[in-house]
Amino acid sequence: HMQYERVGADVTMKCGSMDWDAAVTWTANGTDIDESHLNGSYLILKNVDLTQSGQYSCYEGSSWHLKYQTYLRVGTPPKEPVLMCRSNNYPKGFYCSWHLPTPTYIPNSFNISVIHGTKEMICEKDAVPKNRCHIRYLQLFSTVKYKVTLTVTNALGKNFTTLTFDEVAIVKPDPPESVVAKPVPNNPRRLEVSWQNPSSWPDPESFPLKFFLRYRPLILDQWQHVELSDGTSHTITDAYAGKEYIIQVAAKDNDIGTWSDWSVAVHATPWTEEPKHLTTEAQITETTSASTSSFMAPPTTKICDKGAMVGS
Amino acid sequence: MAGADSPSTALRRRDLCTRGIRLVGKMRSDVIDLLDTYVERQGLDASASVAAVEGVPPAAVERWDEQTGTQRLLENLAAYRAFRALLAQMLEEQREQLGEAGAALGRALAAVLLQVSAFTYHLEELLRLESRSPPSEEGDGPPPRPPLSLFEQKLRGLGVLRELAQWALRSARDLRQLAKPSPGTGSAPGLAESP
Repeated sequence: HMQYERVGADVTMKCGSMDWDAAVTWTANGTDIDESHLNGSYLILKNVDLTQSGQYSCYEGSSWHLKYQTYLRVGTPPKEPVLMCRSNNYPKGFYCSWHLPTPTYIPNSFNISVIHGTKEMICEKDAVPKNRCHIRYLQLFSTVKYKVTLTVTNALGKNFTTLTFDEVAIVKPDPPESVVAKPVPNNPRRLEVSWQNPSSWPDPESFPLKFFLRYRPLILDQWQHVELSDGTSHTITDAYAGKEYIIQVAAKDNDIGTWSDWSVAVHATPWTEEPKHLTTEAQITETTSASTSSFMAPPTTKICDKGAMVGS
Repeated sequence: MAGADSPSTALRRRDLCTRGIRLVGKMRSDVIDLLDTYVERQGLDASASVAAVEGVPPAAVERWDEQTGTQRLLENLAAYRAFRALLAQMLEEQREQLGEAGAALGRALAAVLLQVSAFTYHLEELLRLESRSPPSEEGDGPPPRPPLSLFEQKLRGLGVLRELAQWALRSARDLRQLAKPSPGTGSAPGLAESP
């Protein structure tokens, strides 16, 4: 037998059919309960809290017969649930996901209804995560709004929330994928960035995405932005030479909806000329030529700057 | 079922589709601006819900991805012909209601009407490209209806513009579908079969 009570409630438990004045013993999770909590054979629990959840048993005084047993679950009624609906695979469909702003400590059940105009639509629940379900668009380009109502119920109460939205308002792609940034050889101020449409976006040809690229050197906080209406690559031409950059990309349907979250950040540093080793190389060349004048360093060895060569 | 296109037809269609997408994109942004002006000018509530307006072709469509190219073009053409008549009517009504005070709204309405007419012609051209003569327009005008109250006229106008904005969105997608090269051949499929 399960018994649910609100946090802060006063709880009275009778020892089954035993009279008020019968001699009894109460235990909580197998531990005797102090007589101060008894009123006759009744168990009185004042202002219960979560820690008082557990199994309560009542035994007849002399025979130790179990006369009553219950499992007490202390919790709270559900607050208004937080509901979010989004289409990251437009125009296939959209999903709704939800959570409770605060835990209730007792089991809750959720019921979702999706109405489009006069039609009730099926929301196919995901096995995992449990608090999400998917709706397939039966109609596209509709001016009729969708109304989604989520009701949450538990033993202590019930609550609900409702969202009303247009088909296009909830379109938000996933971030672009496979973002790659590379230096451009012989171009100290360029970085080549490429990426792919999110794999969840089903038809980029008919529902093209546009992109937003942001980049900054690690040494600065200020991002630079560029919006790109087609294509999945861009060459940054104003990078600071030699500075490591952090780069991210976001996506949006060309015509509707909102921007995706930023993609995973990638790092890259523009191409830099090979450093010239002026000191050590010059000395080695000098000493070698003094002792073995017939052996010259192969041209492929790092050639010192002419000015730096001594006595050659 | 028409076979795949000749390269020149495919190229021509792709060009017409690309230009059509640009035209309808511009039209949509103008309609959205016009909606703001219209709501403000007519003293309406932007969030007012307007039931389906009789005679206004709904953009909503089921199984959109299964439509053939010809279906897309024919439905688009019927819709924009209807909008051409509806906008002309709105322009007339608006002049009567607002007179000179509504000149700006009138110009905006006229500009959108012009674009709708241009796009209608564009669709007819696309159909002709497939050697399909566009259906005749007799009897296409809006059905005679009982006179509406001033408020009903305004609400109706709101419904027309909202639906037109949705159609502009749909048309861009339709044209992109039409412009898609068919798998393998690299040339756009014959209209009848393009999904």
